Amino acid sequence: MNGMRIAWRVTRLNFRAQLEYRTEFLLMIAIGAIWQVSVIVFATVLLTRFTGMGGWDSSEVLLIPATRMLAHALFVLLLGRVHGAGRQIQEGRIDIYLTRPMPVYRQLQLAFFPTNAIGDLTVAVGLMVGALSRSHLDWTPGRISYLIAAIVGGMFLEAALFTAITCAGLRFPAADYWSRWLEELLGTFGSYPLNVLPKAVGGLLTYGLPLAFVAYFPAAVLTGHGHDTGVPYWLAAVSPLLGVVAYLGSRVLWRWSLRHYAGVNG
Amino acid sequence: MAVLHAWRAARVTPLGELHAPPRMTAVLVRLAVQVVLVASLWHGLYAHTGTTAGLTEGQAVTYAVLAVLASRLRELDQYAGRDTVLQHMHFGTIVYWYLRPLPPQRYHALRALGEQVYGFAWALGGYLVCLAAGVVDPPRSAAVAGVFALSLFLGQCVLYFVLLTLDQLCFWTVRNNAAMLILIFAQNLLSGVYAPLWFFPDWFITLSGFLPFQATLSVPLSIYIGRIPLSDAFEQLAIQAFWVVALFLFTRFLWRRAARRVISQGG
Repeated sequence: MNGMRIAWRVTRLNFRAQLEYRTEFLLMIAIGAIWQVSVIVFATVLLTRFTGMGGWDSSEVLLIPATRMLAHALFVLLLGRVHGAGRQIQEGRIDIYLTRPMPVYRQLQLAFFPTNAIGDLTVAVGLMVGALSRSHLDWTPGRISYLIAAIVGGMFLEAALFTAITCAGLRFPAADYWSRWLEELLGTFGSYPLNVLPKAVGGLLTYGLPLAFVAYFPAAVLTGHGHDTGVPYWLAAVSPLLGVVAYLGSRVLWRWSLRHYAGVNG
Repeated sequence: MAVLHAWRAARVTPLGELHAPPRMTAVLVRLAVQVVLVASLWHGLYAHTGTTAGLTEGQAVTYAVLAVLASRLRELDQYAGRDTVLQHMHFGTIVYWYLRPLPPQRYHALRALGEQVYGFAWALGGYLVCLAAGVVDPPRSAAVAGVFALSLFLGQCVLYFVLLTLDQLCFWTVRNNAAMLILIFAQNLLSGVYAPLWFFPDWFITLSGFLPFQATLSVPLSIYIGRIPLSDAFEQLAIQAFWVVALFLFTRFLWRRAARRVISQGG
């Protein structure tokens, strides 16, 4: 409870610190928004030009980027500082965190307030409202609960992937390079049905990099395409749970990596 | 002697990359996977469609793959070298750019030249592999290839000046992170990296015609795939040349103004 209170106070101070540079603050909000808009533009262009993508109609496809973007926005707001943490590792800030009486992972997350998350969330909520209003599905309490679970699971899965890269960064600071690529992959290939891709490529984005579990599989289950995803239905259905399990696994990996952290001076 | 100094400045970033094999391996893996994914995506999208927005499947795949390769031209991690204008402004070391026998604008241009030549080597290697594997179509004629090369060169000049403007912004705002991210977004969207501009609505294509971004990538790639015929290419080259001259004059003006704002730490 005390830890939560401290985290809240640090977050408030970080927010005030961001407000110090008003123009930069407003621009960062704008960035979050337009970065998300780029995903919408890409999806809209593809939906307009290529109707019936992978056997899905456009209202069903829209549910994929909406779920992914909302999960991503929550990730940026709550757990996003693991993305790009390589800079903090390179600058030796982890060494400072190790001397303080607060878990290192929490200190990493409290390093600064993610102003861009405000823009991300605004656009993501807008897209989700749009996707739901265009949807022909009957939104029963069960479906709504599953959608919420999918968004939370997607957030944890994204956090797990970036945490794993940060773990590698503790040993090889240049590993931070991969986090930018991961973000690009999630943004580009996480927003539409992966069954338009060849099976081998779809398999790579399912088992190699579990990108399909963030939004594609949950959306497939919700829209009745769960049996056409190329994986067993139950596996697609438990996507939200996999996100939580992956995140817990990444935290175990983090603790192990931190125990073996040698510092920037060896 | 001047040529030797220019060579030494231009090779700084490429040398840094060549001495970091893990980073080069990462670039290779990323480029290969990205090409495969993008080619698969566009083949998949065209599976049940014929010509769309005036583009055949081969043209769309070629455009998308070349866009991925072209993104290597300016994607070095300059930040790792601690030699970006932003970092110098932040740490108060930009003044050293003005204390050297090499003018800062020339140093900036030479560093960028080295980076772009290094990036071009990557893009060219990737292109030859893709061409041999049949992933991309060859240019329709030697004339098309020649005009494409000229257009690509002009496009890279435009890109350099656009990025330079953002660097120069630091002299007034100290930080340019937000503006840089917005510019990268605008560049990717309006130059056709996300998707060829031909897929966008007419009003969007008209709007992008008034901005320099489409001159960086969309024009050369459209010439390559034949979406812009050679008969229309001269007009497009003239527009690219206009942007090169206009942005050159604008950035030269900004360099002069920026020099007045440089102070050593402590004032």
